[in-house]
Amino acid sequence: MKNSILIVTLFLAMVFGGCASQDDPREGGFFGGVAGLGSGGYKNRMTEREERLEELRATQRALDSEKGQLEVQKTAVQEQLNMDQGRVKSMQSEIAALDKKAKSLADKQGTDKQRVTELQKRVADLKGKMNQQASSLDDLEGSGFGDTDMDLRRKQLEKQRDSLRKEYDLLMKMQIELAQ
Amino acid sequence: MRLGALLILAVTVVLTTHPEAHSAPLDEIRRILSEDALVPPAPAALEILDMAGLPELLKQIDPYARYFTAREYRSPTTRREGWLGIGAELIVRGDEIFLAVYKGGAADTAGVPDRSKLLQVDGKSVARLEPLAVAVLLKGDEGSVVRLTLDLPDGRQSAVAVVRTSFKPLDVELVPPSERQVLRIREFVAGMTKPALQATIDFFARNEASPNESLIIDLRDAGGGDLYEAFDVAGLFLPQGTLLGTIQTRGGEVREVRASSGKKYFMPVVFIVGPDTASSAEIFAGALHQQGRAKLVGQRTYGKCSSQVEINLSDGSVLRYTNRDVVLPGGSSCSGAGLVPDREVSDELLRDLLLLVREVDSLSGTE
Repeated sequence: MKNSILIVTLFLAMVFGGCASQDDPREGGFFGGVAGLGSGGYKNRMTEREERLEELRATQRALDSEKGQLEVQKTAVQEQLNMDQGRVKSMQSEIAALDKKAKSLADKQGTDKQRVTELQKRVADLKGKMNQQASSLDDLEGSGFGDTDMDLRRKQLEKQRDSLRKEYDLLMKMQIELAQ
Repeated sequence: MRLGALLILAVTVVLTTHPEAHSAPLDEIRRILSEDALVPPAPAALEILDMAGLPELLKQIDPYARYFTAREYRSPTTRREGWLGIGAELIVRGDEIFLAVYKGGAADTAGVPDRSKLLQVDGKSVARLEPLAVAVLLKGDEGSVVRLTLDLPDGRQSAVAVVRTSFKPLDVELVPPSERQVLRIREFVAGMTKPALQATIDFFARNEASPNESLIIDLRDAGGGDLYEAFDVAGLFLPQGTLLGTIQTRGGEVREVRASSGKKYFMPVVFIVGPDTASSAEIFAGALHQQGRAKLVGQRTYGKCSSQVEINLSDGSVLRYTNRDVVLPGGSSCSGAGLVPDREVSDELLRDLLLLVREVDSLSGTE
């Protein structure tokens, strides 16, 4: 008799214990876990884990894509920089040639010495500024977009190069006039 | 008193290639000044010029005249080349020394706020030290560390370690508050400042700044530079043909300078000015102010609307002297008087850019 009472009590404890637990197999101890397994909680947990995993994968994909975009941007910036450096180099050669011509004008008889001196001074100034452009561009090596100061420096250098090009064209014209 | 570019805490990299002058070509100096100086010097004043007293004697003839040996001279171009140091200038006010911090320089990177008061350098008090001696303390090799004790603009005291680095300042700097169009010009360099300013304004536009938002230009540290560049920059904000100023020479020759054609900007302009705003910077601000195109906030400017020229002498040395005076569109010269701001502020306020921007807002009624 005592044994039957004990079995009934245990059975009731199992039933109520199972009812009181959550259906997540992680919760509710042994009986709760058993209940969870039986009620589909394990499946839910798996689904939840898969969802979380998918979220992580999506974040990873977004990060990869962002990284890819940054790499593309960085490559584009580097390509632009290479082009700018090439332009500055060719302008430096042109200015060096102009400098040579201005020097030969100074030795030539019958030229307007005052204007030749002015030309030489301006060519020397232009030469200095182009050298600065070259060195400032070198400083931008390896930088991408996003750094405000760097982006601004890039824009300023670009506009200044256009302005130096105009000055070069003007001095070239002046040199031709003086040579005639 | 403000220290000139040669005393800033930076070392220019390239030295001039001229041979050093051992003695000044005095006859050449006498001839140039007698023929071209804005105010003709008395013959007796020229006669007594000698090498030993040259700096002082030149100053008696022309307060802005200066003689540089070939080694001393830095052209505006070479002055702008890479600097090595803490990336700040010294501003001397009475016995106090403040740091004018360059954006992106070593001090800025280390978190030193602009206009911090310098108390100690590597534990040594700067009180009673000559500014030049302070500059020497601040200089050092690239990568070396200097420890600064500062009184910050907000009243706190702070010790900061600054690693001396090489640095190229921007021709036009973007300064806080970053959500506003605030920029700083320190010098007008021929052919460089105008494109840099245009690039900076375009940069604001790219970042979707409102076209009606005030453009605030901080000229507190702008000690001058190229006169024609200053006029060119002023012309960006005024219709073609508008009078920017009149250049007068000693012979009474008068030349009007007018705004040229090209791209124009129409947003309201406010200048922040102070006692160190001088020469080309005053002419730039004065031209726009006189034409009703800009407002001035800050303190009365230095008061020098004359222009100097630098002449290379036969031995490679350089003579700088005053040869032009500039009259602003209203018919007055700022020389000796300075520009008077529309809104005057205290010394304390003049050191705080964020508060100055608030003053600008209250002046223009945008707040």
